[in-house]
Amino acid sequence: MAATTEKPAKLPVTVDKPTPYTFDLGLLLANDPNPVSVPRTHDTATLEAHLTSVARDGAQVLINQLLTTCPISSTPQGVLLSLPPQQTPLPREKPVPTPKPETKWEAFAKRRGIKPKTREQRRNLQYNEATGEWERRWGYKGANKAGQDEPIIEVDAKKEAERQEGTSVRGDKRREIRERVKRNERRMRKNLRNAEGRK
Amino acid sequence: MLRQIKPRNARSKRALEKRAPKAVENPKTALFLRGTSCSQITQDALADLYALRQTHAKRFQKKNPVHPFEDASSLAFFSEKNDCSLLLFGSSNKKRPHTITFVRTFDYKILDMLEFCLDGETFRSISQFKTEKVPVGTRPLMVFAGTAFESPVPNAFTMAKSMLLDFFRGETSDKIDVEGLRYCVLVTADEPTSAETAADDPASKPVLRLRVYNIRTKRSGQRLPRVELEEHGPRMDFRLGRMQEPDEAMLKEAMRKAKTTEERTKKNISTDIMGDKIGRIHMGKLDLSELQTRKMKGLKRERDQRDGDEEEETVVWEEQPKQKRKVKA
Repeated sequence: MAATTEKPAKLPVTVDKPTPYTFDLGLLLANDPNPVSVPRTHDTATLEAHLTSVARDGAQVLINQLLTTCPISSTPQGVLLSLPPQQTPLPREKPVPTPKPETKWEAFAKRRGIKPKTREQRRNLQYNEATGEWERRWGYKGANKAGQDEPIIEVDAKKEAERQEGTSVRGDKRREIRERVKRNERRMRKNLRNAEGRK
Repeated sequence: MLRQIKPRNARSKRALEKRAPKAVENPKTALFLRGTSCSQITQDALADLYALRQTHAKRFQKKNPVHPFEDASSLAFFSEKNDCSLLLFGSSNKKRPHTITFVRTFDYKILDMLEFCLDGETFRSISQFKTEKVPVGTRPLMVFAGTAFESPVPNAFTMAKSMLLDFFRGETSDKIDVEGLRYCVLVTADEPTSAETAADDPASKPVLRLRVYNIRTKRSGQRLPRVELEEHGPRMDFRLGRMQEPDEAMLKEAMRKAKTTEERTKKNISTDIMGDKIGRIHMGKLDLSELQTRKMKGLKRERDQRDGDEEEETVVWEEQPKQKRKVKA
């Protein structure tokens, strides 16, 4: 070509080595399997010059490979190269996370196809048809406490006969709730124990 | 494990989540520390490596009475306390002058260790090179040259390669700015001569050379640029000393990959040259007796015969859903 004769000679961009390089572009790595023949001198300048040439060839080949094989995209941030995933296996720093073991309820719900409650279902407000007002379902003035503080309560004679010593009709509901909470906590502990045992 | 901690507030919960095992891991943090005796050369070398490793590095200033190859438990402790899985321990004594021990941990337990014995005479630090310094956090290009790194059997050199890769890889991302290809790390291994390999003396082992260069690209008149290098420093020559190979079971666990990272290839689905999706499906055996042929008046059965048939058929159709219901219940 005419252009080459006018300009200074084209700078070579290719590298020839007896054994070809291997790459791992995800790590920006080039492996040069050719033996490094270090000159047998104590002169550091020749040694460094040799090493620089080895490095230059490696860097040149790596950049050639990057620019030819990786998809390039121009963005306002700059020209970006998309790198492939890395191939060289390197050890992890921590073990692969294990999925949280299922609780007994989760396993049951999955078997039965029970979906978790929606946000609306979990809301602590419900419409009371009788009074035509919105009320809380639990907590302060909760609907689950309705009728507990009535001054007069009907007593079931049969249940009264089986009643435990030291308890009365007053606070029956509250006692029941406490018991449920305790039972649930027991289940939670059991689930935790099972999860540890399964590890 | 130090102790099982249950987070009491959102901040400590976030902090714990940060150190919890992840499917796609964060870059490893390197911890730089020194033993009770550590020469100035080793300290300078550690400082240079620290500078190259910045943003994912921690550095201890005080001396630590640790001998990694005798008892590495305190290194494991430091690893857990600081959430670092790459430790560089500098020490120097008469038998092993200017030694940097690379230690990798897995799950806060020591995975492997390798001693890099620095040659004090040829060592040059970064500040001795008057070139432009690379910005913090830039990923280097890495070139490993020499036959020793290609060995199929794990040896000190392949371990050194794995450790240096881990050290220099930095924050792995799938995209990189072309402007960010600023510097290059060269690691070479000399050829072992037959006389040298026989001797067990570390002084006669092949030298591992670490060089760091700035990259400058020139227009070559072609599409690809011409690469020129300029030494950036540090310049380090190592001989590999003692090593502790990883425990087989531990290494296997450490090499495992999380399942979610890669998409599984779907079987029997391919795309041809035109970009059309081709699927191969498996059909059951074709039963020709049930084949629906064209209906024609002439092929209809006689009226009286059909009446009888129809009744039978209706009975069959009624029975089938009932059976199904039974199965479900």
